[in-house]
Amino acid sequence: MSPLLKIDDLAVDFIAKGRITRVVEGVSFTVNAGEAVGLVGESGSGKSLTSLAVLRLIPEPPGLIARGRIEFEGVDLLQLPRDVMPEIRGSKISMIFQEPMSSLNPVMTIGDQVGEAIKLHRRMSRSDRLARVVELLQMVGIPDAEARMGAYPHQFSGGMRQRVMIAMALACEPRLLIADEPTTALDVTIQAQVLDVMNKVRQDTGTAVLLISHDLSVIAEVCDRVVVMYAGRVVETGPVATIFDAPAHPYTDGLLRSIVRPGHEERRLYQIPGSVPPAGSIKAGCPFQPRCPRKIDRCAVDMPPMFDHGAGHGAACWVTAPVRTTEMEVQ
Amino acid sequence: MLRLILGRVLDAVPTILLILTLVFVALRLLPGDPALLALGDYASQEQLALFREQMGLNLPIWQQYFVFLWDMVRLDFGRSLTSQNLVVDMIGRNLPYTIELTLMAMLFGILAGIPLGVLAAVKRRKWPDAAVRVYSLVGYAVPDFYLGAVLLIVFALNLGWVPINGAGTDLASRLHHLLLPAITLAFVKSAFVARLTRTSLLEVLGKDYVRTARAKGAREPRAIYRHGLRNALMPIATGIGLSLLATLSGSVAIELVFNRPGIGEMLISAIARRDYPVIQGGVAVFAFIVLSVNLLVDLAYVVIDPRVRAGK
Repeated sequence: MSPLLKIDDLAVDFIAKGRITRVVEGVSFTVNAGEAVGLVGESGSGKSLTSLAVLRLIPEPPGLIARGRIEFEGVDLLQLPRDVMPEIRGSKISMIFQEPMSSLNPVMTIGDQVGEAIKLHRRMSRSDRLARVVELLQMVGIPDAEARMGAYPHQFSGGMRQRVMIAMALACEPRLLIADEPTTALDVTIQAQVLDVMNKVRQDTGTAVLLISHDLSVIAEVCDRVVVMYAGRVVETGPVATIFDAPAHPYTDGLLRSIVRPGHEERRLYQIPGSVPPAGSIKAGCPFQPRCPRKIDRCAVDMPPMFDHGAGHGAACWVTAPVRTTEMEVQ
Repeated sequence: MLRLILGRVLDAVPTILLILTLVFVALRLLPGDPALLALGDYASQEQLALFREQMGLNLPIWQQYFVFLWDMVRLDFGRSLTSQNLVVDMIGRNLPYTIELTLMAMLFGILAGIPLGVLAAVKRRKWPDAAVRVYSLVGYAVPDFYLGAVLLIVFALNLGWVPINGAGTDLASRLHHLLLPAITLAFVKSAFVARLTRTSLLEVLGKDYVRTARAKGAREPRAIYRHGLRNALMPIATGIGLSLLATLSGSVAIELVFNRPGIGEMLISAIARRDYPVIQGGVAVFAFIVLSVNLLVDLAYVVIDPRVRAGK
C-alpha cells in the first residue's frame, strides 16, 4: 500500500538580508493512512517548516521550497498550481496551530469559524452545516455546543479554544491532520485533555495525524511512529516503542534522558551540552557532532546516511550503525 | 450596552464644561469692546451703557460666567450683537451646510482611501504600493485651502463644470455646489485613510488567524477581506473618527475659499466683529459635535469588536 503522505528529500531555504540559509535539508518520511506520526525536535530544528511546507503555507518570500517532493495520495503537492492548494487545505489536509489564543479570528463567532471550511469545501444547506458544527463541537467535548456557537473566541479558555481549533480542522473529515505543537501553550492538565480529544478523534474518524512537538511525552501519548529532527535534518525514525526503549541516535538518547520520569524526581535532569547550531552553519559532517558525547573522527567529516536498524527503525549515526549494513530505504 | 453609552455621555460633561469655560475666558481676554464694535465709533456714552446693560456686559465677570453657563445649559445662546438674530436660528441655518460638506468629504475620502490602502497592503513593495505612497505624501503636503483655490480656478472658472460660490437651493444644485469643496477636503482625507488602512491591514495579515484561514482553504481575497480587513477596521475607525474632526475644522477654511455658508464662515465673521453670543454658540455647537463624534467612534468599536461588547 502506498503511503498517504510521502515527503522525499525536502529542502527549505530562508532568504534574509540577501543571504540564503538552508533551514530544512533532505527531510524524508512517510505517514500512512490512519497512522499517527510524531515529528520531534527542538525549536529551530525545522519541524514546523516541514509541516507548513506540506500545505505550502510557508510565506514566500522569505521562505522557499528549494527541492524535494511532497506526495499526497500519489500527487506531488509541490507541482500543483498555486491556486489548487486551497482546495486541499482544510479539506483533505488540515492543520492545527500552536497558539490557540491568536489562531482564532477575534471578530468571528466560533460557529462561523468552525463552519467556514464546510462552507468552502462542501455543498451543504445552512441548517445541515449548523448541525454539523454542533456535532463537531460536541465531538471535541465542548459543553452546551449549540449555545456556544454564537460565542466569540475571547469567551473561551485556552484549552477550549484548542478544542475549537481541532473541531475546525476536522470539519471536512480530512485524511491528514497536521498538529503543530497543539498542547505547548496549554496547562499540563489541559494538555492531557486535548491529547485525549485527539486520540478519540483518531479512533472515531480514522484520520492520519502528523503531530509536531518538542515534547517526547506528548508524542508517546498519541503516536505510532516518531521522526526525530535535528538542525533541519531527520536523524532518527522508528516505532515509538523502539525509539523509547533503544534509541540509536545519541541525540534521541539525550532527549529521552532529559524527560522527567515519575519516581525519579531526585535525579538531576540530563541536559545535552551546548545548543542547536544556527541554521546553515554546518558545513560538513553530522550536525549533532559538536554536542555529541560519542563522536568519532569520521563524524566531523562525513554526514552519516540513514542506517537501517531493522523493523522500520533507522538512525543517521556512524557510531551506532550496525556492522554489516546498507543504507536504509527510507520508509 | 446602554450603560456603556450612558457612561461615555457622562464622561463628556466635564469636557464640555472645560471647553465652554475656555471660550468664555478667551473671548474676554480679546482686545476690543463689543459695544463699540456693534454700535460704531459715534455712539454716545448712554447708548453704549444701555447696550452693555441689555447684553449683561456690565455685570462682574464671575456673574457673566454663571449667566453664560446657565444660558448654555438651556441652549439659550442669545441674540447676535450685530444683527439681533437669534444665535440658535443662525446656527440652525448654517449647520446643515457644514454637515453636508463634512459628511460628503468623509464619504469620498473613505471610498477612495480604503481601497487604495488595501491595494497598497496587498501589493506591498510593488509599484501600486509606491504609487499610493506618493499619492499620500502629496495629500499630506498640499494645504487644502490652496488645493481648493486651484480646483476652483480649473474646474469652476476655466472649465465651468461646477458653480463658483454659494451652496445651491434644491437637492441637485446643492450636490452640484458641494462637489468641488467635498473633493478638496476628501483628497487629504483619502491620503490619510489609505496610509492608515495599509498599516493596519499589513499588521493584521501577519496574524496567526489569517494563516488559520488559509489553512482552512480560504483563498486570498477571503483571507484578506473576511479575516483581515474586519480586524484592521478598529484602528481605521479610530483614525476616521479623529479625522472627521479635522475635516470639520478643515471645512472652516474651505467654506471661506468657496464662499459657502456654514458654521465656519459664520464663526469667522463673528470673531471679526467680537459678536460674543455667536462665537460662544458656534463653539459650543462645535464642541458638542466633536464629543458626539467621539461617542459614535466608541460605539463603532462595539459593533466591530465583540471583545468591547463584553466590557473588557
